[in-house]
Amino acid sequence: MSFWSLMMADLKSIVTDKAIAITLFGGVLFYSVLYPLPYLNEVPTKQQIVVIDGDHSSLSRQLIRHADASPKLDVVGQLTTIDQAQQWVASGKAHGFMVIPENFRRDLIRQKGVTLAYGGDANYFLIYSAVVEGLMSVGIDAGKYVQFNGLLARGSSAKQVKHDLEPIKLNSVPAFNPSLGYTPYVVPGVLLLVLHQTLLIGAGILGAGQWGREGYWQQASALKLILARVAVFALIYSFFTCFYVGFCNYWYGVSVQGDLGQVVLFLVPFILCTAVAGVAFSCLFTRRDLPTQVLLLISMPILFVSGFIWPLELIPSPLVWLGQLVPAVSTIQGMLQLNQMGASWPSVVHFWWQLWGLASVYFVLAYFGVRYRLNKG
Amino acid sequence: MKQLIKRELNALWHDPWQLALVSYIPLVGIFGLWWLFSAGLPRQLPVAIVDQDQSQISRMLVRQLTANAAIIPIHYQDINSAKASMEKAETYAMVVLPFQLNRDLLTGHQPSIDIRYNSQYLLVGKLLSSQLQLSLADGLKRKALIKQLAAGVPMAQAEVNLNLVKTQISALYNANSNYVVFLLPPLLIALGQLLAMLVFANSLNRELRLNTMQEWFSLGTRRVLWAKILVYTPLIVLQGRLILTLLYQYLGLPLAGQFGQLLLAQIVMLLAVWLMVLAIFFLLQDSARVVSFCTALFAPAFPFMGITFPTQDMPKLAQWWRELMPSSHYIDTHVGLVSYGQSFATFTHQVMSYWGYLLLIPVIVFLARRVKRATHDVAAETRCNEAS
Repeated sequence: MSFWSLMMADLKSIVTDKAIAITLFGGVLFYSVLYPLPYLNEVPTKQQIVVIDGDHSSLSRQLIRHADASPKLDVVGQLTTIDQAQQWVASGKAHGFMVIPENFRRDLIRQKGVTLAYGGDANYFLIYSAVVEGLMSVGIDAGKYVQFNGLLARGSSAKQVKHDLEPIKLNSVPAFNPSLGYTPYVVPGVLLLVLHQTLLIGAGILGAGQWGREGYWQQASALKLILARVAVFALIYSFFTCFYVGFCNYWYGVSVQGDLGQVVLFLVPFILCTAVAGVAFSCLFTRRDLPTQVLLLISMPILFVSGFIWPLELIPSPLVWLGQLVPAVSTIQGMLQLNQMGASWPSVVHFWWQLWGLASVYFVLAYFGVRYRLNKG
Repeated sequence: MKQLIKRELNALWHDPWQLALVSYIPLVGIFGLWWLFSAGLPRQLPVAIVDQDQSQISRMLVRQLTANAAIIPIHYQDINSAKASMEKAETYAMVVLPFQLNRDLLTGHQPSIDIRYNSQYLLVGKLLSSQLQLSLADGLKRKALIKQLAAGVPMAQAEVNLNLVKTQISALYNANSNYVVFLLPPLLIALGQLLAMLVFANSLNRELRLNTMQEWFSLGTRRVLWAKILVYTPLIVLQGRLILTLLYQYLGLPLAGQFGQLLLAQIVMLLAVWLMVLAIFFLLQDSARVVSFCTALFAPAFPFMGITFPTQDMPKLAQWWRELMPSSHYIDTHVGLVSYGQSFATFTHQVMSYWGYLLLIPVIVFLARRVKRATHDVAAETRCNEAS
């Protein structure tokens, strides 16, 4: 059987096998919509809070108005006790509360310190941080407002007062994902993982359905079969990768800083390595319903050891080492640095070599695996 | 019935993968995920420092940063190398203490300290941004205090002047913002749901694989199904019990509600999962496709739970999809019981929210009948062929 007809036969069995076709073509399309779907609104805004106003003064009312005006907060009610506020939080009607103490305005004017208390539902960190950040900035502004007026009244100039209140400016700016959006945070990494997983599943089902049975795959040597299969999957996945890294990143507003040539160069060993690993992986199975199950169970761990959700410094090192064997891990790390964070080629080249290294290791495994499966059948 | 249960147990015993799914795979999975997040609190994250001033005050600020548990300052000589280290994710933020910081302060100018944080790694970036600002502001306050004292303000008054409005922040239900408390329960629930789905799908698929559909129907469709439910529900609830034991007994995370109700809620969730798997099984009737389809549905359950990203901020379509996932119904009960110690009335109300899954029952009955007819036809045909 010639190499070309072997490739065509492989392609035909991929496209006509419903289980593989659904995973590859359906899965890739379906996940490109489903995974980013919850995050499309990017940042949580207008979190409901309640206020316990013990002061009822002009200043406390101003504070409440400012809280309500903050893009992060939405004041949905005023209560009298903290217990009530906790009940609102428990029933989900509010996610946080602010307590304005008695004599808030009076104490401030008399230059006595006051304490504002904030509480937030820490079951949901994103909501909690929005509530706390919103309330903090409102509280700081209220304090500054009083100090500003007090100093002005004591005869300082407006310019001097401003300077006294803030002798050094802290200019804190997010880098790489300027909107702090959730889609640009999650999408680039997760989509690469989807490519990796669907390719492994596809190759796994294809192999598992063929070993031990009669067919075109037995008319070729192990080496030829591997090369043809890798070529077919690499071809299909070049299109999928273009769709994900090209179109989806653009569509979901992911910040892209990489140079096109370098990104393409980086993704070549990713596709090849994953395809070879897929063929090697398929030798482990003779039941077509197993590859999906194994990969499903290891998806979450792979995502986490990629280190962009939970920092690598905090992951136990044996797990990090284990992760180095998975092509998706070094790809996600390298691609985030190259394409999202604008790292130079020399600083990500070790990931690139690692992928080539993994590709050769998996190639050897694939060779022995396929030879074993073909001989056994 | 006893015999049917024996039949299921026998099938389980002779399927090594299925046996793995109910024994050591959950153990490894639960332990592995816990190990991953076992650090709990983010600390000692590398931050690039470019100190261009090298003055008493800039060194004081760096000491201030060193004292913060979340930060390890790493010194860089120039901004470019600090920037490169951020791009390589070697450091997650950078602080530039500008040239003549001290002099500008003394001569009444307003210098500015630049902080850049990696928001591509959103969790770490946001955390470092707030920690850096807190530490630096604290250091600067001390400087301002000395200035006030020098101007003749008494100590007590000077301190009040600086902290006119103090804040007290309480993180309710997770006092030290621990990621184990925050992330581990929903992650383990997502894992548990996946395992449950796989186990049940495998048990159904086995009938297809070994060609025993005919036998199933002749033994009584419903009775075999009940046997499967009776065998696998307790096994999966046992896994759930293990997760709860790890979280609330071994790790000692706070639990306001009652254990029993959590287990009851898990049983309801499992029944919903069973219904979904059954509908897909009778619809597709091919083991690989059943597993692939179920995987496609259940794999993204975690982001839709609404723990990491709030439900109310999701688009409508995502909120509808969320309703399809049994785990999203369960997580509401879980949070309610664990944190808020909710009443039994709320619990029953939440159980009612599963009503939509009941609509699957007529669908399953219809599809099962169709499959049964097809199996009979095939069987009759083979008999005819054999006879002729």
